[in-house]
Formats: sequence, structure tokens, C-alpha cells
Amino acid sequence: MRKDFSKSWSVFVSAAMFAALTFSAPVARAQQGQDKAAPLSQVQRLNRAPVNKEILRVQLPRPEVQTLPNGLMLVLQEDHKLPTIAFTMWIRPGQLADPADLPGLASFTAEMLREGTERRTSAQLAQEVDQLGATLDASSRFGASFTSVNASGLINSTSEILDLMSDVVLHPAFPAGELDKYKQREEAGLEELLGNPNFLGQREFRHVIYGDTPMAIASPTKESIEKLSVEDLKKFHGQHYVPGNAILGVTGDFRSSDMRALVEKYFGGWKGAAEAPLSFPDAVTPKPTKITLVDRPGSVQTYIVGGDRGIRRVDPEYYKLVVMNQVLGGGPQARLFLDLREEHSLTYGSYSRFNSDIYPGDWQASAPVRTTVTGDAMERFVFEFKRINDEPVQTSELDEARRSIIAGFALSLEQPAQLLSDWLTVQYYGLPMDYWDKYPDRVSEVDAAGVQAAAKRFVDLNHMQWVAVGDRKQIQEKLSKYGPVTVVDVNGKAKN
Amino acid sequence: MFLRRKAIATFVAAIALVVGMSAALEASPADNDLKVPKLEFQDVKLDNGLRVILVPDHSAPVYAIDVCYNVGSRNERPGRTGFAHLFEHMMFQGSENIGKGEHFSLVLNNGGGMNGTTNEDRTTYFEALPKNQLDLGLFLESDRMRALNITQANLDNQRNAVQEERRQGIDNQPYGRASLDLDNLSYDNFAYKHSTIGSMTDLNAATIQDVKDFFRIYYAPNNAVLTLVGDFNPDEALAKVKKYFGSIPSQPEPPKVLLDEEPHYGERRETIYDPLARLPEIDMAYHIPPGNTPENYAIQQLAIVLGQGESSRLYQHLVKEKQLASDVSVQADARIGVSQLYFSANPRPGVKVVDLERAMNDEIDAVVKDGITAQELAKAKTQLLRQFIERRRSDLYTAILIGSYTVYFNDPNLINTTLAKENAVTLAQVNAATRRFLARDQRTVVITLPAAEDGSSAPKAGK
Repeated sequence: MRKDFSKSWSVFVSAAMFAALTFSAPVARAQQGQDKAAPLSQVQRLNRAPVNKEILRVQLPRPEVQTLPNGLMLVLQEDHKLPTIAFTMWIRPGQLADPADLPGLASFTAEMLREGTERRTSAQLAQEVDQLGATLDASSRFGASFTSVNASGLINSTSEILDLMSDVVLHPAFPAGELDKYKQREEAGLEELLGNPNFLGQREFRHVIYGDTPMAIASPTKESIEKLSVEDLKKFHGQHYVPGNAILGVTGDFRSSDMRALVEKYFGGWKGAAEAPLSFPDAVTPKPTKITLVDRPGSVQTYIVGGDRGIRRVDPEYYKLVVMNQVLGGGPQARLFLDLREEHSLTYGSYSRFNSDIYPGDWQASAPVRTTVTGDAMERFVFEFKRINDEPVQTSELDEARRSIIAGFALSLEQPAQLLSDWLTVQYYGLPMDYWDKYPDRVSEVDAAGVQAAAKRFVDLNHMQWVAVGDRKQIQEKLSKYGPVTVVDVNGKAKN
Repeated sequence: MFLRRKAIATFVAAIALVVGMSAALEASPADNDLKVPKLEFQDVKLDNGLRVILVPDHSAPVYAIDVCYNVGSRNERPGRTGFAHLFEHMMFQGSENIGKGEHFSLVLNNGGGMNGTTNEDRTTYFEALPKNQLDLGLFLESDRMRALNITQANLDNQRNAVQEERRQGIDNQPYGRASLDLDNLSYDNFAYKHSTIGSMTDLNAATIQDVKDFFRIYYAPNNAVLTLVGDFNPDEALAKVKKYFGSIPSQPEPPKVLLDEEPHYGERRETIYDPLARLPEIDMAYHIPPGNTPENYAIQQLAIVLGQGESSRLYQHLVKEKQLASDVSVQADARIGVSQLYFSANPRPGVKVVDLERAMNDEIDAVVKDGITAQELAKAKTQLLRQFIERRRSDLYTAILIGSYTVYFNDPNLINTTLAKENAVTLAQVNAATRRFLARDQRTVVITLPAAEDGSSAPKAGK
């Protein structure tokens, strides 16, 4: 983890600053002036700012999509603003294909790509990448269904960048000496992770939500790091790193007509048919609500997470979840933020988010709160979860939530990485090419009943799975009011 | 109750005084093949002192607005640490024509993004919006510059938010305290010595009167830079700026803050015990000249060679070859005043802190003695070229950067000229700066050791 020495302090920090965010309309009619009696969890609308009522509608520029003879799918998106180039490759299946006794194998394989190829040592790779002013990295996120390889830099280094990228993807050597060093770094990294309250909370949440499935794994273990061998890496690589499993996205100052030939030059010799995609069962029957408390002595905050299983990316109910999530916790003017922070002063920020993939994912809300108000924070979460279930969203609130999503497309036009990711998503999930054109209409169709249906399904207090990371001595009793509490240590082992 | 601007000057005719256009030709970049984009902009000062930078960019139907105020935590007085940042929070609580929560709502529900940030040197507020919302952005920024709504309830509420921000980012994180202690030990001048986030005690002590005074003194048009980057017509945009901001009265110049630092008498060291840390950490800081000086540019390149990128010296030697560190970082900052070169490393499990420190010292001694090589310098310059180009990607980032360049160094054209300044750094300059500033007796070291769960390794000396 690179340390950031230049600390700036902000009014809020949320996961995606430019993502369309929800707003929270007041239950009562907006107050004029500064009425101190009005609850602070409502936005006080004076309506005096000049707002252009028209949404600037934009169309996302379409990429060129081709498939090479070896099965590699190519997604080409020209962008001539700056003399740069960026390659993004998604290779199925990722961490979800880890053997049960070797959690982290996909991640190990991805990270070891840079530790040597058949013609370059790790140090040579590092030197060449840095000399070009380029970046080259590979990772396999836990819970993701693909490995991601990214290479980018200046346009006049395009060939060199592709050479390096193809070298690590096609011909990694996994040298034994480098593996030993990597393992030691991984062990240290794991040790550090155990000090991170967010990691601990998410690890337990996944564990509880995903049960016995591969999605329950959030990190390697000491055992899997120790056990890992060169043979394991070669086997994973040999089996899964094939062009039939891969999509390569390119954005930058190039011509599509030239790029195909260049990609064929470096990736044309790559062989291997697509594997059958992993399949996952539908979401399980919801479990009764319970609380996992990760005891973190010395913690001055409690990191609270509450959530449940979600849906697949291609589920037709997706848009209802998007809009419901926006209303409840999509940003600093959504209900959770306004309630827990702006009204009740419990936290720096509270939000909700969801994960939808080739498997039914999850939805969650969270907040880090100071230890002494843990009970109050739980009460507020419960209040807001009940509210979105029991009360249909008002029309004005719904309008603004949908508007924020639709109007947000304009800003993405100056973010080529975002655009490329949007198109890779379309290819990856088998969505139609007019998916983003139709997206605003699909969002507009979500009505109050749709939001309420999504709330009933994903924000159900009877089945809510809670995790709290904090000082058990101070919070266990307060938490027990909301469900049966199981206490674990930072390693996830049950404590009495 | 609204705090209205008191008009100091009786005349507020909004006659724009054009102070200059950026017309200098771009110095040639490191690589002549690349079209390095040069930004054209207008640089205008309104009659009330507000400096306005207008950068047309028609590549996407969006724009960004940044208002950068010439105030940061350096301007705080003892007893009121954390105030500049707390005040930043107050700027989102509503103004004469904007209700509480309405700022977030208006921007985010109209397809925009926004935030505000505070550091030692400046406080900057920014929004990015679709191009058809130009009036909205200008209205929001001008309304709060003119008439911020200041109430005890808002202050108490945001004080809590800021205290949670501190807990989340510092007190509940491993090594949080070390990051504050390093600057506290390294700087003697109060301005940079204390933390921007402030102490809980001082945050609790902040009063409504403090907020009103701070607003009056620092949040004046003559103490701010407004930067607009994006898809607009500059003449129309300037007319709107005058319409919204022109009648805000100026205030007397705020008091200046001296940022001098005396040389240290010798190396400064501290060891702290952190119950939340699972591995030790070594943090070091050396003083270097202020940002935008030839020596600061030279040390920036030294930092890249030493610790940025996997081919960097410290990563290769300490992490890969000797396997002493699990991670290492090197970074040089560029402040208005005396800046710092920072080193940070964690020993991997089983390695003694003293051994890692010795190895770091060896690396530093070696580069002081023999300098860096021409090849290493070329590598650093290529990385800087790439960063320079990538920074142009978004209107928002460009606006924030121009605002900071102007407040820090009175030079918005740095958005174009930093590349030439970086290219002008010679090998001799880097090596001379290294010898001059990486002196052992001038550095500060903070060692963090994990404490036992029962707190049995209590710190012997501490603040």
C-alpha cells in the first residue's frame, strides 16, 4: 500500500464521486427560510438557484467490436483528446475459480505475471515499464468473476506497451525465486489487512452473505500463501488464460483500422478456446437476521454494515435496485447521509451500494460511527430501512433520483476509462449494443411501487445480515438488541 | 441568520481588468513526437479583486468550476487547529439562497459531481456539471461567497462530522498518529507544525464568532481564484461571472503568514506505540525548498528515482533484493512554504526495524555520495511527461490544478509550463540538491511499533 503523505481533508468521501446519486426529498413540504424546527434530515429547498430543467441528453459513442480468429474479443474506442493509449483486458474466470483449498490463486497468478516472463526478468520488466512512463498491472479481485490486466502510457509507446502486456499474459515464467519473495510480501500484506476495519467488516459480511460459495472468500489465508507452488500458478494460467476467455478493450489516440493489425501481431499467436462460463445458483432463501461482531480492541469507531443477497447484472429487476439504492444511500444527499450525518451527527458519511455480477450479488449499507453512538446508529439504520419499505417514495424524490442517474451520463463523456468499462460491461454480460441508449428509459420506468418492491426484497429487517467491527466491551450489549450476536476475533475465529 | 458581506468599498463597479492572456509558446517536451496540448486561457481580475481564469474546452459537453481560497491550516492560530477545514464543512450548510443540504442535492441531482478540500495552504471548492448548468455552478459558489448561513446547530453538527472524519482517517487507523507526529516534530513554525484536521479539543472550542470572523477575513473575492474549464463561450461565461460575483464586496487583505523554518540542531526522532498497527513502520522527513523552485523540481525527480515505480531504487533494493521491507514509499510535496521529502517503509514480519532503517540509511547515503544516473533521470522525466499529459484528461482536475497553481504561486500558466520546468532540471542540479538537503542531521524520524493489546508497551515520551 502506497502511503499518501499529502493529506487533504474533504467535506465528504464516497466511492464514486461522479456516479449519479440519490437525493432525499422531505416527507413534508419544503420549508421556506431557515426554520429551526424542520428536521435536518430533510433537504431544505429554497428553490432559488437557477437550474436548467432540461436534462442534457447524450449518446455514448459506440466502439468497434471485433473477434479475432483465436477468439479474443476486441473493443476499440478511439479518443483523440490526448496522445495516450490504454489497454484493459478482462479474462474469465478470476478468483471465483480458485480451488477450495487454495483461496487467492487467481490473485496470486495475476500478481505474479510481472515477476518474470520467458524473456524478461522481473527487474527488466520493471525497468522497461518505468522507462516508457507506462503502467502495467494485473489483479484478480476477490468476488470478481474475471482477472483484469491493464497497460497504459503514451501513444508513441503503443507497440512497446503491447509487447510488454502480451509478454506477461502469454509467457509468464513464475520463477521460483520470485515466488518466494512474493509470498513474503503477501504475508505482510495479509498482516496489514487485519488492522483495517473496512477489510474486516467486508470479509465477515461476505462470509455471512455468501456462505459456502466462492464469493464468500475475501482474501488469501496464511495457509494458502504458504502452500502456493509454481505448479499451481502454471496450472491456473494454462487453464484459464486463453483468448476465448478474454476481452481486450482499447481507448486512446489510435485508428481502429490500425489497431486490429497491431493486436494481432502481439496476441494473434495466443491459443485456447473459451471455457464454459462458471455458473452459480440463484439466490438462496434469506436467512434470519443476525449480527457478527468483530472484536477490535482499541477501536474508536464501530464500522457497521447491514445487507443481504442481491441479483445478477442481467436481472430485469436491476433498474429498480439502482433507483432504490440511489434514494436510500447513493450519495451525500441521500437518506442515510442526511439522517446519520447531517441530522444525528453520528458519522462522517453513510452510504449504500450493491454488487451485481454473473452471480446474484449483494446489497449493503454501511457507516463508521464513533463507538459511543453505535446503538444510536443502529436505530437510525433500522428507521431508514423501515421507512423505505413502508412508505412509497414521493414523486418529487423519485423524479430527482431518476434524473440524477440520467443526467450523469454527460460527465462520463470526458472519462474514456469509464466509457471503455461501460462497453466492456456490455460485451461481458451479453447486453445489447443499444443498452446504454435505452438505459435512461429503463430508469424512467421505475415507479414508487418498483422502489418499494426492491426495498422489500433487499432491505428486509427480518433477514438483514449485520456486521460490526469495534470494541466489543463497549458495543456488544447495544448490538444484541437488533439480533443474536456472534463475536469473532480479527482472524474470524469465534470468541466467547 | 445570514452573515452578509459588509461593503468596505463603496464602489463595486464590475469592470474587468484584463491582466494577461497566456500567449507564451510551449517549450519543447521531452519527446518531440507527441502533441502536448497547450491550454489557452483568459486571466481576468474583477474590480472586487476576484481573479477569474477561463479555459474553454469543447471536447465534451461539460464544464468544471473551482473556487480556490487563499487560506489553509497555515492560517490557524494556536487553540484553533482544524478550523480551516471545519469552516470548509460550514460552506456546504447553506447560504442566503441555498438551504441546508440543497447544495449537494442541486449538483448531484443534475448530473454533477462536487466536493471541497482543505490542506495546509489552500481551501478549494469544485463542481463538474453538464454544460447546460453553467448558471447553477456560478450561483452556488457566489451565493456562499457572498452570504453564508452560519448557525450554532450547523456548527455543532459539522463539528461532529469533522471529528468523525478525524476518527475514521486517523484515530481508528494504524499509523494515523504517526502521520501527524511526523510533521509536528519536523516543523517548528506553528503554520505547518500542527495538523490540518486539528485536535478534538480545539475543534470543540470553535465558536460561532470564530466562524463569522473567518468568513469575513478569508472568504473574500480578493482572496479567491475562480477557474472555469469546459464547454462554454468565454465572453458569455465572463459576463455571467460578473453578474453573479461582481457585486460581492472586497475585504482587507488577510494577514500574511510567515512560513520560515530554521535549520535543525540535529536529527529528531520519536518512537510511538500504536495498538492498531500490526507491523512497525519507519517514517522520515527532510525539509526541501518550497514548491515551484528549481530545487523542489529536482527533488521531485529524485523521489521518483528513489521510490516511485517498481524499478525505483528502494523498491528493488529493499523490497525485492534484500527483502527487508514489505512496502516502501517516497514522495516530495510542493507547498507554498518549506516542503518535505518523505520516506515510509514497513519491515516485513521477522525483520527488525533497526535493520530496515540501516538499509534505508545506506540507500540515502549512497545517493548523496554518488548521485543518480543520467538514465535514471531520463526515466523520471518520461514519467513526469506522462503525468503532465494525463492531468489534462478532465476539466475538473484541470480547474482544481489551475486554482491551486494560482493561489500557491500566483501563476496559472503553470498548467502549461511545469513540463518545461521539469525538463530543465539537470543531473547536476538533482545531485547537488540531494547532497544539500538529504543531510542526516536535518531529518526527522518517527518509528511506529505495534503495542500489545493490553497497552503494555506504553510510550515513554509522547505528546
